[in-house]
Amino acid sequence: MGNYVPKYLMNIWFIFILFLIPLFLTNYTNTFMIPSSLMNLNTIFLSILIEALPFVLIGVLIAGFIQIFITEEHIQKWIPKNKFMAVLMSCAVGALFPACECGIVPIVRRLISKGVPLHAAIGFMLTGPLINPIVIVSTYMAFGNDMKIAGLRMVLGFLIAIIISLLVSLLFQGSQFKSGIHHEKSLENAKKQPFIKQFFNMLKHSIDEFFDMGKYLIIGAFLAAFVQTYVSTKTLFEIGNDVSSSILVMMLLAYILSLCSEADAFIGASFSAIFPDFSILAFLIFGPMIDLKNTIMLLGVFRFKFVMWLLFLVVSVIYISILILSKYI
Amino acid sequence: MNFHFQQAIRAVILFAFSAMIFNLHQTGEITKLINPKYENLSKTVAILFFILFVVQLTRIFSFSTKDHHHCHHTGHHCCHHDHGNSPFNTKKLFSYLILIIPLATGFFIPAKTLDASIAEKKGGMMILSKQTQAAETEDFTEAAIPNQSAGDDLYGDHAPDPNLMEERQEIPEEEYDHLKKELSQKQTIHMTNHIYTIYYDDINSNASKYKGKKIQLTGFVLKEKGFKQNQLVLSRFLITHCIADSSIIGFLSELPEAQNIDEDTWIEATGTIDISTYNGEQLPIIKIANWKKIEEPKKPYIYPIDIRVGL
Repeated sequence: MGNYVPKYLMNIWFIFILFLIPLFLTNYTNTFMIPSSLMNLNTIFLSILIEALPFVLIGVLIAGFIQIFITEEHIQKWIPKNKFMAVLMSCAVGALFPACECGIVPIVRRLISKGVPLHAAIGFMLTGPLINPIVIVSTYMAFGNDMKIAGLRMVLGFLIAIIISLLVSLLFQGSQFKSGIHHEKSLENAKKQPFIKQFFNMLKHSIDEFFDMGKYLIIGAFLAAFVQTYVSTKTLFEIGNDVSSSILVMMLLAYILSLCSEADAFIGASFSAIFPDFSILAFLIFGPMIDLKNTIMLLGVFRFKFVMWLLFLVVSVIYISILILSKYI
Repeated sequence: MNFHFQQAIRAVILFAFSAMIFNLHQTGEITKLINPKYENLSKTVAILFFILFVVQLTRIFSFSTKDHHHCHHTGHHCCHHDHGNSPFNTKKLFSYLILIIPLATGFFIPAKTLDASIAEKKGGMMILSKQTQAAETEDFTEAAIPNQSAGDDLYGDHAPDPNLMEERQEIPEEEYDHLKKELSQKQTIHMTNHIYTIYYDDINSNASKYKGKKIQLTGFVLKEKGFKQNQLVLSRFLITHCIADSSIIGFLSELPEAQNIDEDTWIEATGTIDISTYNGEQLPIIKIANWKKIEEPKKPYIYPIDIRVGL
């Protein structure tokens, strides 16, 4: 019982801060002390969050579902032993699965802890947000009802995702989870329990998952909002005036803006005056695969080294393939 | 009976998320954050949070006779993520604080309409002058394919009721063509929120067709280095999904008093469309004849209209 007192104190402090924050903030707003750039930052931050929450909640609910209803045996049965086949299958499943890049991280984490091999999970993560009906339609419309960009985005994105996942399968073994998150050993799933009970457990797991991922989502959204408020994209446009640098600039833009894959086509289209089609394509393929907000969420699950390697692989594979294809697009 | 402090905190946070989103809808602030098209989605989220809150309530108290840890039912240790039962420490305090930040700012700091400083970060005039260029090239490809439905007037005497149209964000292709056709016949173009993007695209792509026509529009004032003393941009933000994906649209305008009008002032103006050059790019500009300051409109943003393509 010795540690009971400090724990109790902690709670007092916690409640204290909880009440302090709103007071502090209301005082400031009443006197209009907040500079307008901070107000802008806050508005964009909230807007990214409100936009992402539906997808994150869907993500944590699916993660909860996987945790309760899917067993290791299922996974063993479904995923091909052959690495290439596994990657191909996971990319195809991802392509059929409508997800957003922020909602997919908790799902991927749950899949890996259920025994899905890393390369398959990564393949799923890369194609999930990139290829789905909503993204196809919005890209089609954003580019003046033209199928070319939308088609290239899907086909190239799919091929690139396969290449990256294969590279991951060659370079990495195990779950690559950061310490503290362990691989699920075995779970004798509570099959005997009634469905209602299981459903209830699923919701409880979803809540825990939300509290695990929530903080990373918030930090990511905040950083993205910060960049949008204080970094001018104008200077970027001035750098990107030849083939290779324009691709890099658009990829950097996709990374720091952290747009939702359902909405990024319109932004991409608005740059089509400044940059050639292949750079826009790099923007459209790179953004949904990995971005600033998403990186922070990945860092909440995977080892730092692995996330950096993944980022490096995604960047270089997309950059090289777009550069090679730039003559033909 | 045991009381679980952290589970209670989690319940409070879940409830607060639900309440914050409801509150944003109640106060109408939500329109300053996301495209109204996605309002129902965000309401669903508020309901979901509430359901999760109710589920979470059951975890606050546990009875010592029954094991409170739900994983124990399975008979195996399976807890690889935090269930909120492990001891409270600084790290956890930090992570709960992070979750509270958006709740606090969402409740207590009012959302702000995006202003000229953001417009400038988004590329400002540089983007605007390029939009014309893009429209020109797009138009070129469009011209190669003959437009079939442009010929016949589908509505005849029964033009669509403008009041009905105002709320919709999706129109069939025929109606879109009809609107475009109507636009080219009008003597005075009134840029209302609903048709802004359709008219904007068309004016930018066929500026010469509209030269000399009268136009009435509202927007906030944006100025940039390199503008002449009589120049300003009457700009709006176009919101696809949420304001993080906003992009800037608007017309370069000329009026003698321009230098006396501050940035971010909302004005309503009428003027004539003309063609001019800016940094070597040809683009439509508006020579403003009459203008007045107005309050920031209730709906400051423009939302793109989806054109339903009839197959």
